Amino acid sequence: MKKKLVSLAMVAAMSASLVACGGSDGGAASSGEKAESTGVSITILNSKTEIQTQFEEMAEEYEAAKGVHVEVYNADTDTTVASQVATKYASNDPYTITMVDAKDIYSLADDYAYDLSGQDWASHTTLGITVNNKLAGFPFCVEARGIIYNADAIEKVTGEAFDPSSVATLDDFQALLDKLVAGGMEQPVGILSEYWSLGAHWFPMVYEEQADPDAYVNGLLAGTEDLAGNQKYNELMDTFETLVKYNYAKGSASNADREETSMKLAQGDIAFMFGGNWDWSVINQYDYTEHLGMMPVPQNTTDGSNGKLVGGGSKYIFVDSSDATSEEQRQAALDFLNWLVNDAEGNTFLTEKCALVPAFDNIDASALDPLSLSVKNYADANNLIPNYNYLPDDHMTVVGQEIMQKYLDEAIDRAEVAKEVTDYFKTATPIAH
Amino acid sequence: MSYKLKQYLLFAGVSTVIFACVVIIPFIYGLYLTFTSWDGVSRSKPFVGITNYVNAFADAGYWTSLGRTFIYSAIAVILVNAVAFIIAYMVTSGIKGQNFFRAGFFVPNLIGGIVLGYVWKFVFNKALVSLAGSISSGQAKSLLATETGAIAALIIVSVWQYAGYMMLIYVAGFMSVSEDVIEAAKIDGCTGTQSIIHISIPLMTASFVQCLFLTITRCFMVYDVNLSLTNGDPYGSSALAAMHVYNQAFVNKNYGTGQAEALILFVICAIIGGIQVYVGKKGEVQA
Repeated sequence: MKKKLVSLAMVAAMSASLVACGGSDGGAASSGEKAESTGVSITILNSKTEIQTQFEEMAEEYEAAKGVHVEVYNADTDTTVASQVATKYASNDPYTITMVDAKDIYSLADDYAYDLSGQDWASHTTLGITVNNKLAGFPFCVEARGIIYNADAIEKVTGEAFDPSSVATLDDFQALLDKLVAGGMEQPVGILSEYWSLGAHWFPMVYEEQADPDAYVNGLLAGTEDLAGNQKYNELMDTFETLVKYNYAKGSASNADREETSMKLAQGDIAFMFGGNWDWSVINQYDYTEHLGMMPVPQNTTDGSNGKLVGGGSKYIFVDSSDATSEEQRQAALDFLNWLVNDAEGNTFLTEKCALVPAFDNIDASALDPLSLSVKNYADANNLIPNYNYLPDDHMTVVGQEIMQKYLDEAIDRAEVAKEVTDYFKTATPIAH
Repeated sequence: MSYKLKQYLLFAGVSTVIFACVVIIPFIYGLYLTFTSWDGVSRSKPFVGITNYVNAFADAGYWTSLGRTFIYSAIAVILVNAVAFIIAYMVTSGIKGQNFFRAGFFVPNLIGGIVLGYVWKFVFNKALVSLAGSISSGQAKSLLATETGAIAALIIVSVWQYAGYMMLIYVAGFMSVSEDVIEAAKIDGCTGTQSIIHISIPLMTASFVQCLFLTITRCFMVYDVNLSLTNGDPYGSSALAAMHVYNQAFVNKNYGTGQAEALILFVICAIIGGIQVYVGKKGEVQA
C-alpha cells in the first residue's frame, strides 16, 4: 500500500511538471499573439555576442516606438555561426535578419539573401557586399587591426608625450621598446596566442598588404609564389620577431591568456598588444588607464602600409529571402536597417550604446571608445587597407594554430614558416568568388 | 495483427519510434551525407560518391589525431580504472565516513565537461605555475604550454572526472561478492591482497567489463574537456579525433569529409568496444 502511495505521488508530481510545461508554452503563445496584434514580428541573430544586452534593450524600445516585435537571439559561442544558421534553415525557421561574417555572406547569399540594392542606406556606404550582382550584405560596423597602445604606460616610463606616428618604422619601434625596457618595463608587449588572432588577423596581412592580394593568394594556391623571398612577408615577420622578443609571455607564449594580456594592457603593465577595436570589450572590463589607441603595425617599409590599419566592414547582415519569411516581415527588416542608418535613435544605438564604428558616411560618431575612435580616424582619412575575405576556410586553424603558434613559441624559424604555409596552400581548397 | 506484434507495440512501440527518430534515421542521414560534398550550409548537396572517404583516408591530420586519441585513451582507461578500483576498495572496506567519501569522489561527474575544463585550465595555468614558481623561485612553464604536457593534463582531468563514476560500479561489484566466500577464504588462510586478487576480482568481472567499455567509449569520443582545456593548443598538438572531426566539418566547412571521418571513428570505436565486451564476457565467473 505504501509503495502504491509513493508511486501515485510520483505520478502526480510528474504530471504536474508536464502541466507546468504546458502552462509556460501557453504563456509564450499569448505573448506571440500580443506581438501580432501590434503588427509584425521579426527575429535577429546577433553574432556580436558582446553587445547582446544592448540589442535586447534596443528591441524593447524599437517595439514601443515602431510597433514591430523584435526577438534577438545570441549566437552560440561553441559552434560556428554558419552552422547555426544552417540549422535554422534546415528546420525551415530562419531568422528574418542574420548577422554573419563577410566570408559567410559569400556562401549564403545565393541561396538565402534578399537583394538590398536600391535601399536608401546603400548610397551611404562603399562597404556593402555584392554577390552575383545582388547587394547581399549590410555592413554592421567597421573594424580594424593594428597595434593597440597604452600611451599612459609609455609616458610614465619615458617621461615624454607619446605620438604614435613617431614609431611608424620598425627601427623607431625597436628604439622605443629598448627605452621602455631600460626604464623598467621589462616586457612591454603582449601577443594574443589564439589561432584566430594569428591565423585570421596577423598572417593575412601578408596577403592584404601585397599590391594585388587576390593575385598573390592565387599564386600561392598555384604554387608559383615564393613566400620566403617575398618582401612583405619578411617585413611583417621582422616586426613579429620584435614583438616576440619583448613578449611578456615569452617561454609559454602559445599559452598566453587573452583576458590576462588585455588586463595587463589596460592597467599599463605592458604598453603594446596586437589586436583590433573589438578588444575594447575585453579591455574595458578592467581598470583601464585613459589614453589607449590604435596605430598601424610598425614596419621598415616604403610601401606606405605602416601608415594604415588593416580592416573595413565587419559583421554583415543579410535579410532572409526564403518563403519562410512573409513580405511584411521582410519589409519590417528593411525598415529596421534603414532605421539603423537614417534615424537618430538607430545611430545612437550603433555608435553610443554598442560603441561601434559606423560603416556609413552620414552617421556622426563622436562618442566612441578610444580604439574605435582611432579606427574611425584612419577610416575617415582613407587609411584602411581592405580585409581579404577569400582565404580558404581552414587557413585560420592550419596557419594560425599549427604554424604561427610554433613560430610564436620559437619552435620553428621564419624559413620553416614559409615552407609550411607554402605546403598548406598546395592542398588548400580555393574559395570561389 | 498478431498477438506478439500487438504486445510488442504496446510495450515498446513508443520507444521504438523515438529510438528510430533520434538514432537510426539521423545515422542513416549522416551516412548519406558522407557521399555528398555539402558544405554544411547551402541548399545543394552534390553527390560525390566515395570521395569523402578517400579524402578522409588521405587526411594526415585525422590519422595523427586518431593516433593521439589511442595513446590518450590507453593511458586514461588504465588510470581511470586503477584509481576507481582502489578508491572503491577503500570506500567498501569499512573506513569511517565511507558514504561521505563515496559522494565526494562522485562529485566531479556532476560538473559539466566545459566548466570543468575551464576550471582546470585556471589550475594548470595559474595556481600550479605560481606554486611551482614560488618553490623554484623562477619562471615556471604551464603544463598546457608543452605538447606532451597538454596531453598529460587531459589525462589527469579525465581521470579526475571519470574515476568517481567508475568507482560506483566497482563499489557495486565489491558489494556483490558474497561475504561467505571472503570468510571462507580467510579461514583457509588467505591474506587481504590474496583474497582481492583470487576471490574479489574474478567475481567482479562484470564490473570490469562495464567500466572498461564505458571508459573506452568516453575517452574515444571526448570533446568538451578537450575544447575547454586545451582547444588543441599548443600547435594543434592536443587535438583529439572528435575535435579534428568537428573542425573539419564546421570550421573548415568540409561537412562531407568530417562526417566520413566521424563514421570511421564510430566504426573503430564499435569494433574495440565489441571485442572488449566479448572477451570480458567470456571471462566472467559465476560464484
